Amino acid sequence: MKKNHYLINGLLALTMSLSITQSYAKNNVSIGTILSTTGPAAFLGEDMKAGMEIAIEEINAAGGVNGAPVEWVFYDAESQTNKAVASTRRLLSQDKVDMIVGGGNMSGIAMAMVPLTTQAKVPFISTEGSLAIVSPVEERPWTFKSTVDDKQVFLRLKDYFDKKNIKKIALLHDTSGFGQAAAEELKALSDELGLEVIYEAFAPTDTDLTPQLTRIKNSDAQAVLCWTVTPAGVIFNKQATQLGLTDRTLIHSYGFVSQKYMELASDTAQNVLLVSVKFPVGNDLPDSDPQKAIIQSLTKKFEEKYHRKPNQYVAQTYDAIMLAHKALTNGQGEREKTRQALENIQNYHGVGGTFNFSKEHHSGLSKGDIVLIKWEDGQFRLADYQ
Amino acid sequence: MSSTIQIIISGLGTGSIYALIAVGFNIIFKSTGALNFAQGEWVMMGGILAAFCFGNFDLPVWQACILAGLAVALVGAITERVLIHPLLNHTPFAITLVTVGISLLTKSLVMLGLGKNPVGYPGISGQGFTSFWGASITLQTLWILGITFILMILTHLFFNHTRWGCAMRAAAANPGAAALVGIRHSRVVLGSFIIAAGVGGLAGTIITPVTLMSYDSGAMLGFKSFSAAMLGGLGSLVGAMAGGITLGLLESLVSGYVTSQFKDAVAFFVLLLVLVLRPQGLLGKAEVNKV
Repeated sequence: MKKNHYLINGLLALTMSLSITQSYAKNNVSIGTILSTTGPAAFLGEDMKAGMEIAIEEINAAGGVNGAPVEWVFYDAESQTNKAVASTRRLLSQDKVDMIVGGGNMSGIAMAMVPLTTQAKVPFISTEGSLAIVSPVEERPWTFKSTVDDKQVFLRLKDYFDKKNIKKIALLHDTSGFGQAAAEELKALSDELGLEVIYEAFAPTDTDLTPQLTRIKNSDAQAVLCWTVTPAGVIFNKQATQLGLTDRTLIHSYGFVSQKYMELASDTAQNVLLVSVKFPVGNDLPDSDPQKAIIQSLTKKFEEKYHRKPNQYVAQTYDAIMLAHKALTNGQGEREKTRQALENIQNYHGVGGTFNFSKEHHSGLSKGDIVLIKWEDGQFRLADYQ
Repeated sequence: MSSTIQIIISGLGTGSIYALIAVGFNIIFKSTGALNFAQGEWVMMGGILAAFCFGNFDLPVWQACILAGLAVALVGAITERVLIHPLLNHTPFAITLVTVGISLLTKSLVMLGLGKNPVGYPGISGQGFTSFWGASITLQTLWILGITFILMILTHLFFNHTRWGCAMRAAAANPGAAALVGIRHSRVVLGSFIIAAGVGGLAGTIITPVTLMSYDSGAMLGFKSFSAAMLGGLGSLVGAMAGGITLGLLESLVSGYVTSQFKDAVAFFVLLLVLVLRPQGLLGKAEVNKV
């Protein structure tokens, strides 16, 4: 009888010590991040990582999540889906992170990560563009994103086209996940928007877009949208100018808003508008805009730390980490509660826009957060506000 | 009409880029029998080094190009001495395998040393373009066409009409017999690496104003040009020109007239077809091996 007592006591002690270590582990909040700081998408990766660094520093300086510092685990996806998937597994099974923020800065990579995070029931905030990452929401309850949707961008562009009386457009997209997803979205949306669209494609590594542009030139498209995040977009600028397409409205996607690209395009940069979040033109916004002050403050902080200008990629990852922080704080270490906390975020003013999530909507920004900008005298200027 | 010319000119421009890089493939193939997988990386290195010289030393573009070409030739020489020369056997297969490693090494070193940003600079005669029958062409594309043509002739003269060139071909055809008549195999390999790297580097410097260049552009350029060399017939210099132009024209005609969505697929399907029907390439000589 006595022996049994010892046994039970022993078991009790064991379970207690286990539960202690478990709750101890819970105290350490960790966020896992996968971005590509090498490979074709590397260009965005560095800035996106920097945005997260600033956010994590700010959070930890202000006391972390409910008093516990946030531990940040970072892996480079090298712009390769298989590397990102391996790192995701590692984050989920070895590092046991509470949330994953950032999906390799390529939509294709983020989409490949979703099944893993969904299965593991770990909230995932993607910092990539494509709407397909978070839809259909019923199948992807654990996935959110901090970027604008192609759909919202097209709705916003439609407003602009109406102002300019443009009815027929061409979409020149690359064959990466980013470009393909936009093409699919526009195909589904064009009837509703009342736009006639011609589709042309190119590979991200292409060095010549003349054949596609010649076809567009021979069509009666009044506006040309170029959908890519790769340097091929610079070739678009140069060759569209060379072929005399400047009499049409030329617009780059939000993926191309980069100072480096504009500098590479040199004189031809001014011929092309870009559709973007408000971040790059913070100073040009009217004072009534709720974004203006926070954009200026992050810009200042970034310039002090990195001695260069931040871009909207910094903004979207900074926002993603801040959203994660908000949800982790409200979720109190429970995953389902954290997920619901993300869904309940309303009217949150981030640097990239005003976030409104809901059960049906896991992509927080809307067309009101999007503006058209242009490159002028070495900086981005506001071209069309609302 | 003008758009047909535009599309053909575009194909010629892209094709001559492929041809130019394919020449480098052929130089090493002719003198060692190996396939050089580092060729694309040398092209990339040339472009990035030229951008670096142009941006940091304030050199005129043509000087930056020549300097970068010479620098890449030097890199080719060092690579050969350090990585190929110590090999115990110089079979084409062994050299081919080492070049795979060289390509990865070159790419990583450029990334670490010169950064990840894509680069570009104005062409040799500035950013301008001119027009032919309503079709427009950048001046740099004319330079590329011309330089490709000149390099092609020079390499042809070198391999067929100079002692050095003939010796290099002899060493590839029969290393044993070549050694008996006093041709030092290791010198031949060194020579071919220097020339191929120099030509590759120079190619990179003149295409960068048109295509832009970043540390990871080498693989795709190498791959396409290797296809061009295969299409024309490996080892044949005229074949490289024909293969490159064919591939470039095919790509631009398909995307201009059929569909831009499956341009690469169609181009490579034709490549497969040619290789199945004519394995030696369009202009290659069929190889007869006696067993």
